[in-house]
Amino acid sequence: MNELLIIIFAPLIAGVLAWWLDVRGIREILGVAGPAVSLSYLVKLYTTIDSGGFVNYTVNLGGFSFNFALTQLSWIFGMIAGVIGLAAALGMASTSKSGYEWLFALMSLTGVLGVFLSYDLLAFFIFWEIMTFGSFMMVLRYNRSASLKYFVLSVIGAYAMLLAIGLIYARVGSFSFVDVYRAFAQDAALGVAGGSTVFSTFDMAAIFGLLLVAFGVKAGLFPLHVWAPDAYSETNQSYTAMFSGVLSKAGVYGFIILYMLMGYRLVSALGTFRGVPSFGYLIAFLGGLTIIVGGLLAALQEDIRKLFAYSSISQVGYVLVAVGVGSALSMEAGVYHAISHALFKGLFFLVVAAIVHRTGKTEFKDMGGLAEKMPVTFAMAFVAILSLAGIPPMVGFASKWLIFEAVISQNLPILGGMVFFGSAIGFVYLIRFTYAVWFGQRPTDLEDTRDAPLPLAIGMGILALLNVVFGIAPGLVAGELNKIIGKEVIGGTIWELDIGVGRYNGLLLTVWLIVGLLIAAIIYFLGAKARRVPVTDTYQSGNPVTMEYNLTIRRDFFRPLREALSFWLGISFDDLYRDVAKATEEFADILRRYVYNGNAQSYAWYLGIILLILAIWGV
Amino acid sequence: MISAYYFGAISLVLIGLYAVLVKKNLLKILVGLSIMETGVNLLLISIGYVSGRSAPILSEGIGPNQAVDPIPQALVLTAIVIGVATTAMALSAAILIYEKYGTLNVEEIRRLRG
Repeated sequence: MNELLIIIFAPLIAGVLAWWLDVRGIREILGVAGPAVSLSYLVKLYTTIDSGGFVNYTVNLGGFSFNFALTQLSWIFGMIAGVIGLAAALGMASTSKSGYEWLFALMSLTGVLGVFLSYDLLAFFIFWEIMTFGSFMMVLRYNRSASLKYFVLSVIGAYAMLLAIGLIYARVGSFSFVDVYRAFAQDAALGVAGGSTVFSTFDMAAIFGLLLVAFGVKAGLFPLHVWAPDAYSETNQSYTAMFSGVLSKAGVYGFIILYMLMGYRLVSALGTFRGVPSFGYLIAFLGGLTIIVGGLLAALQEDIRKLFAYSSISQVGYVLVAVGVGSALSMEAGVYHAISHALFKGLFFLVVAAIVHRTGKTEFKDMGGLAEKMPVTFAMAFVAILSLAGIPPMVGFASKWLIFEAVISQNLPILGGMVFFGSAIGFVYLIRFTYAVWFGQRPTDLEDTRDAPLPLAIGMGILALLNVVFGIAPGLVAGELNKIIGKEVIGGTIWELDIGVGRYNGLLLTVWLIVGLLIAAIIYFLGAKARRVPVTDTYQSGNPVTMEYNLTIRRDFFRPLREALSFWLGISFDDLYRDVAKATEEFADILRRYVYNGNAQSYAWYLGIILLILAIWGV
Repeated sequence: MISAYYFGAISLVLIGLYAVLVKKNLLKILVGLSIMETGVNLLLISIGYVSGRSAPILSEGIGPNQAVDPIPQALVLTAIVIGVATTAMALSAAILIYEKYGTLNVEEIRRLRG
C-alpha cells in the first residue's frame, strides 16, 4: 500500500476497528495508534520533501483518477493534522465514552488529511465531505440543534464548492490541480495580452464567490461563523482540540489553494485594491471582521467552552487576514499562525477538556482556585494563555509578529487596526479565564478535584512543548515555510527571524526573560515582605456593588462592555438565519394552503395550464 | 379549413375538459372524463382515415392499398377498453366516497387536504 494512502486512511481504519471491537482499553490504544501511524509516516517522508522531492500517487477508481501528492505545503498542514490529531486522540483516551466517538473523530481526521494531501478537485471535495460528516456526527452525539446548524451551513458550503468545481471542470475538462493551474495561468496570460479568455470575468467572480462561501464556512469566516461556537462547545472537548485546531485549517488551506491555482487569473479579472489583489482584500477584510466579532463575543461569554470557541474563530481570522493580503511574507505568516493557532488552541481545548472532565462544570461562576488542585493542567493552560496572547517566547508571538509586519509593510491601516484590536481583546478574555478559573476562592464542591488523567496530560504536554520550542526557535518553522515559496522570505537562523524591516530573536528573549525572572526571584527571596491579599472583588467600573450589578470576575465581568455594545449585539446573524428559515417555512405553508390544497380539480387545472403552456411553447 | 372530424373530436375533448375543471359534482366530472375519452378516440380514428378507402379487412378486391390506416383502430380498441375500465373503477370509487362522506361535491370531500 502506498505511503500516502496509509497516511490518509490509518486513522479511519483504526477508528473502524475501535468502534467494531469496542473494548475499553483496546479501543483507546487503537484510536491513539491511528494518528500516530499517520504522523510517523509524515515524519518519515520528511527527508524526501526536504530535498525538494514530491511524493505523488494516483488511484483509478470507477473511471475517475484520484491524485494525491505530498508537497511542502501539504506536508506542513499534514503535520498540523498529525500532531494535533495525536494530542487530541490522547485526550480522547481519557474523556471519550464510546467506540462511536472514536469512529467519527478519526473519520474526520482521515477526511482532513485527505483534504491536505489530495491533488485534484474531486478527491479534495470527497475528503472535505468525509471530514464534515465525521465532525457532524460528533456534534450530533451531544447536541442536536447545534449539529443541525453546523450541518445546514456545511451543506451550503459543500454545494457552493461543488458548483465551483463544476464550473471549473466544464471549462478545463480536468479535475487535476496541475491541469487546473495550467489552464488558469494560460488564461491569465491571454487576459493580460488582451486575447479572448476561456473564463470570463463573470465566471471568475462566480467561482471566487462560491469558493469564498465554501471555505469560509469551514474556516468560520464572518458572517458564516454562526455554527462554530455551538459546534465547538457542544461536543467532546478533546475532540474540539482537533475540530478547532485542524478542521478549521481545511478552510485556510482551501484559501491558499485558491490563491495558488487561480490567483493570477483572479487578479487579472478582478483587479487590485491598495496594492493587494482585491479578492484577497475581501478575504482579509472579512477575516478582520471575524477577529473583532469573535473577540468581542468571546469576552462576553459566561461559559468556558463558548469563550474558547469564539476565541478560536477570532484567531482563525488572523490567518485569513494574512492569507488574504497575499504577499510572500504574509502567506508565510498566515501558515505560521495556522500552525501556532493549532498548537495553542488545541492545548486550550485539551485544558478545557481536563477541567470539564474533572469538575463537570463549564461556567465561570462555578469555578475558582483550581491552580492548587490541578497544577499540571494549570501549567499547560499558562503556556497556552501566553501563546494566544502573543507573549514571547511562545510560538503565538512569533506568528502574530509576522502577521503585524506583513500587514503593516503592505500599508493597510484598516486591516492593521483590526489585527491590533484583536490582540487587545485577546487579553481581555484571557485575563478572565486566568483569574476566574485558576485563582481566587475555590467553591467548596471543587475541594476534591484531581489533576488531569495521564493520557490527557501527555497530550497537553506534547502541545505545550511544541508551543515553547517553536517560540524559542522560530526559525525551525520559518525554514520549512521558506521552502513553500522557494526563496528565503524570512531569513535568520533557527533562533532568529529576520524579515528585513525587523528581527526577533527567540533565544535571546528567553535568556533575558529567565534572567529577569531570576532577579525577581532573588529580590523576592531576599526579603520582599509577603502580604496576604484579601480576596475582594475590585472591579466595579465606577458602579456601586449591589446584588443586581454585581460584577465579579466570575459573573457578568464584562457587563459594562455588553451594555456599551448592546446595539451591535442586537444585530445577530444567528437571528437573521433563523428568520430566513422561518420565512421559508411560512412560504411553504402558503403554498400548502393555496396551491397544494387537496382539491383534485385544482390539480386538473394545473395540468391543463401546463399542457397549454407547453403547446404554446411548441413542444 | 380544418376537417369537421378533427373539429368535432377536439370540441368533445374541450367540453369534457370544461366539465372536469369546472363542475363540482363528482358524477358530472366522471361524465366529463367519458366525453373527453370519446373525443380522444374519435380524434385517433379520424387521423387514420384516408378519403375514399374502405375498412382494413383483407378480403376479395381489397388489398393493403385500398384500406384506411389500421393502426389507430387497434389503438382505439385498446383505449376504449381502458376507458371503460377506468370509468368503472372511478364510479365504484364515487360510490365509496358517497358512502363515506354523504356528498359528491368535490369541494366538500376533504380527505386529501393536508
